[in-house]
Amino acid sequence: MPYHEFDCSTCIPERKKHAVVKGPGETLADALPAGYLNTVPGSISERGCAYCGAKHVIGTPMKDVIHISHGPVGCTYDTWQTKRYISDNDNFQLKYTFATDMKEKHVIFGAEKLLKQNILEAFKAFPDIKRMSLYQTCASALIGDDINAIAQEVMDELPDVDIFVCNSPGFRGPSQSGGHHTICIAWFNDKVGTVEPEITSDYVINYVGEYNIQGDQEVMQDYFKRMGIQVLSTFTGNGSYDDLRAMHRAHLNVLECARSSEYLCNELRVKYGIPRLDIDGFGFEPLADSLRKVGLFFGIQDRAEEIIQAETARWKPELDWYKERLKGKKVCLWPGGSKLWHWARVIQDEMGVEVVSVYTKFGHQGDMEKGISRAGEGALAIDDPNELESLEAMYKLKPDCIFTGKRPGEFAKKIRVPYLNAHAYHNGPWKGFEGWVRFARDIYNAIYSPIHQLAMLDISNDEIPTDKGFVTRRILSDANLSDEIRNADNLRQYTGKFDIIPDLRNKTAEDFPYLRQDKLEKAI
Amino acid sequence: MACNVTERQRAGVINPIFTCQPAGAQFASIGIKDCIGIVHGGQGCVMFVRLIFSQHFKESFELASSSVHEEGAVFGALKRVEEAVDVLLMRYPHVKVIPIITTCSTEIIGDDIDGLINKLNDELLQEKYPDREIHLVPIHSPSFVGSMISGYDSAVKDIVKYFATKSEPNGKLNVFTGWVNPGDVTALKHILKEMDIDATVLFEIEEFDSPLMPSGQHVSHGTTTIDDLKSTANASASIALNRYEGGKAAQFLESKYGIPVTIGPTPIGIRNTDNFLQNLKQITGKPIPRSLVKERGIAIDTLTDLTHMFLAEKKVAIYGNPDLVIGLAQFCIDLEMKPSLLLLGDDNPNYGEDPRIKELKEKVDWEMDIITNADLFELEDRIKNKGLELDLILGHSKGRFTAIDNKIPMVRVGFPTYDRAGMFRHPVVGYAGAIWLAEQMANALFTDMEYKGEREWSLNVW
Amino acid sequence: MEDLMKERIEQLIDYIMKHCLWQFHSRTWDRERQNREILTKTKQILCQESVEPADRLDRCHWVDAVVLAEAYRKNYPWINKLDTSEIAVLMKGVHERLDYLTITGSLNLELTDQHY
Repeated sequence: MPYHEFDCSTCIPERKKHAVVKGPGETLADALPAGYLNTVPGSISERGCAYCGAKHVIGTPMKDVIHISHGPVGCTYDTWQTKRYISDNDNFQLKYTFATDMKEKHVIFGAEKLLKQNILEAFKAFPDIKRMSLYQTCASALIGDDINAIAQEVMDELPDVDIFVCNSPGFRGPSQSGGHHTICIAWFNDKVGTVEPEITSDYVINYVGEYNIQGDQEVMQDYFKRMGIQVLSTFTGNGSYDDLRAMHRAHLNVLECARSSEYLCNELRVKYGIPRLDIDGFGFEPLADSLRKVGLFFGIQDRAEEIIQAETARWKPELDWYKERLKGKKVCLWPGGSKLWHWARVIQDEMGVEVVSVYTKFGHQGDMEKGISRAGEGALAIDDPNELESLEAMYKLKPDCIFTGKRPGEFAKKIRVPYLNAHAYHNGPWKGFEGWVRFARDIYNAIYSPIHQLAMLDISNDEIPTDKGFVTRRILSDANLSDEIRNADNLRQYTGKFDIIPDLRNKTAEDFPYLRQDKLEKAI
Repeated sequence: MACNVTERQRAGVINPIFTCQPAGAQFASIGIKDCIGIVHGGQGCVMFVRLIFSQHFKESFELASSSVHEEGAVFGALKRVEEAVDVLLMRYPHVKVIPIITTCSTEIIGDDIDGLINKLNDELLQEKYPDREIHLVPIHSPSFVGSMISGYDSAVKDIVKYFATKSEPNGKLNVFTGWVNPGDVTALKHILKEMDIDATVLFEIEEFDSPLMPSGQHVSHGTTTIDDLKSTANASASIALNRYEGGKAAQFLESKYGIPVTIGPTPIGIRNTDNFLQNLKQITGKPIPRSLVKERGIAIDTLTDLTHMFLAEKKVAIYGNPDLVIGLAQFCIDLEMKPSLLLLGDDNPNYGEDPRIKELKEKVDWEMDIITNADLFELEDRIKNKGLELDLILGHSKGRFTAIDNKIPMVRVGFPTYDRAGMFRHPVVGYAGAIWLAEQMANALFTDMEYKGEREWSLNVW
Repeated sequence: MEDLMKERIEQLIDYIMKHCLWQFHSRTWDRERQNREILTKTKQILCQESVEPADRLDRCHWVDAVVLAEAYRKNYPWINKLDTSEIAVLMKGVHERLDYLTITGSLNLELTDQHY
């Protein structure tokens, strides 16, 4: 029976259908964890709320927009700077956040006037910004403020501004995922098709479900530009509001995080006939296949091959250096929604680690289908995990490293399991060829940390090895390697820079020979 | 040249200084031993607060959610609390205290948690957990009132009110520390020990800085016990160091149990620490020992090396918790600095009556603005658009971009200070705090001098 | 023969499950279309028939099929030795198996939700 019952959860038997161990010869038809159900109250779940899914995950990465939350300050404060979605607009979206500061009197008498005042004040404070997103919170939803009406009033008064309204209060749905859905459908219904873009290429895509964490989007956009493709819009990392209003003009939707935005791609397919191509930007082989597919779609696959060859030649020797030293290390792949399936197989194939568990905080059954398919036999798959279950799993599985959020990483640390931040990364970006090597390097540094070694010593009980001196990471990692591999001169450690984004941002026309020369100003 | 107190003119907040009340209630609850709070509202209300705590302390804290979903928001969600209490008690056998913390959503829909707690005490706890000591403490903390500061203040009072039980006098002093760091608690306990004062420190949060041990699991918890809380009713006196954080609880003990209360001062800087010691002496009759004279002397010595050479005339902006801001302003003045802008981040109507603010208005002879109900845009706007010149910023990490973009050195103080390592481990109170603060400020200014090439050679011979 | 066919189908299914995402759209009707279009085209490519995508949407199916066919040829050399009728039978088996695993036998309760 592949359903897994946690000792700490036998008293809440409804949890049993949320965890599955992938057994030998078993298929998805045999067992699949339940997904996207109501959270068990008091379980100390990892989940957040629908406001977060809408405003923080998808809304705020838009870089040229004033993002105002209609409610008391807490929601706004909490989602300000707490995710690493950067932009090339001087990080305006990280630096500034806006709340209408609802107070008790507004709860009683309504806050629509307050909202309107806020909107006008915000535009006045930032006169160069003409775009705004308004987010409902639990408070403003419950008092029934008509945010859409107020937004329309302002747009009528100020014809050069455009305002997007997202009605996704925290309680809408069991987790963040409800918010993703709300904002995708709202953007599709209200904003797509309201701007006609300038087309600068014969090959036009929307890049969907990518939030530019630590520069991921900029890495991928660079590949597309090198192929001569116009990335009409990115939903929403490093993305621009008006570009996203023009999504209907793309030839292809390239989709990464299906969990957060497949809704939008599906609607775009039905209404505008734009196909949906699901890709993986993580890992050499999946990324190569992804670039090939995009290339094939436009008949420019030779350009994809150029990039794949050049990047692979440059970075594979470094990836393989880490792979040799990470082989057999056990990891728990514990992210929010999509990374469990983006990473489950390829991290094993290309970095040699063994994924002993996957989980999803707010994913649906579809994410589990993908994740379990790609994970190896014996992997423990958990839906909507809570703290005690996570601890029990770690004690049982004894992973060498865990990829999860910042806070759960802190209690993993306490039981001597080093963690890497699966949501916001350690030293990313982790997408792309170079990015994947950076990820491998982070894993290597986490596992072979001499401090981590020292953490295992109990100075009151164990013998202290005073005669040994220090160890380097290499001494630790190379201990069981053959001489041949240890000294292989075709492999080397990471040789990239501390910050790889500025070089991408400083590229010029010469770097993109396939972009149309007559459209360069817009295209760069 | 004068000190003006004005209120933020804009209706809305751009870059908030504080988060909302439930965060304060949650901060109070993690200071108690065997306590896991249930935040009654959307999951974000607890998930994000746990995140900011983990950013500040680099630790994870246990807090639960009642996970209100759409149905609960429409039809009422008390059943979710009932289930949350049951689930928590089943799975965490050591838990004795469960604060039930409300949020804006559950206050708006009118969930009666007090009524529910009575019901649970009579039914669930009797039937299913008859042999366990369990305390369900109602804490009302809607986000549309006050801020995390008032949330903390109310929660401390609600907790003390729930537990305080009159019995034999214990001869102790209740010390309500306010929203401080573990480093502050260490410094305060040191002073109390030097003065041979037996105190109940609320809350005991030194253990927040918890170790990574070679075996087992050592998660961060506070260590204030139920007995500590009960015995607050039997103290000989209370002192609340921060008027706005803990004052309510101290005043409650006075009105209900006649325990004399002293409010303040926030012991930041030499003068305020002197006053604190004087208060302690007056309240307890214990003398101020030579050891503290020596510690004070080391602090004065340290400061003397810094003040007229480097710190004099430096214009500083300060934002964060109100008692912290005022205390820091007073200290900066002692150090010959010129606090030019103070930002008090919520709409507490009592700031105008605060005698410390009145004192600033009376005595300051340079241009100083105190903004109430402020946000961080008030700081940035003045720098970018209104010609405010600053040499230093004292505040928490959420304001970091203002400092970075305008190239103004900033010393992280208050909550949260996640973009610098280990700030929570150091005090800002007491003589030790005076030394730490002054040296942090000086070193920040020195680094800035070096990066800007302004008199950096002067440090060759300091 | 039966067992060999079954084993080969499993290998090809395993490749799809480990490397592809196109079979996991969120609704039954989408999965039916994806499986049908992409596997039909894969079979056509493996049989060296010419494939004319009808429109943009169809071209996207074709793209996934091209990459899949290449992967099959590279990773399962036995496929290169099959004649077209054997490939047809094989791919029909793959299609049926995939439909079972992703649609008719799937435990994903969201597949039948009427809205996106």
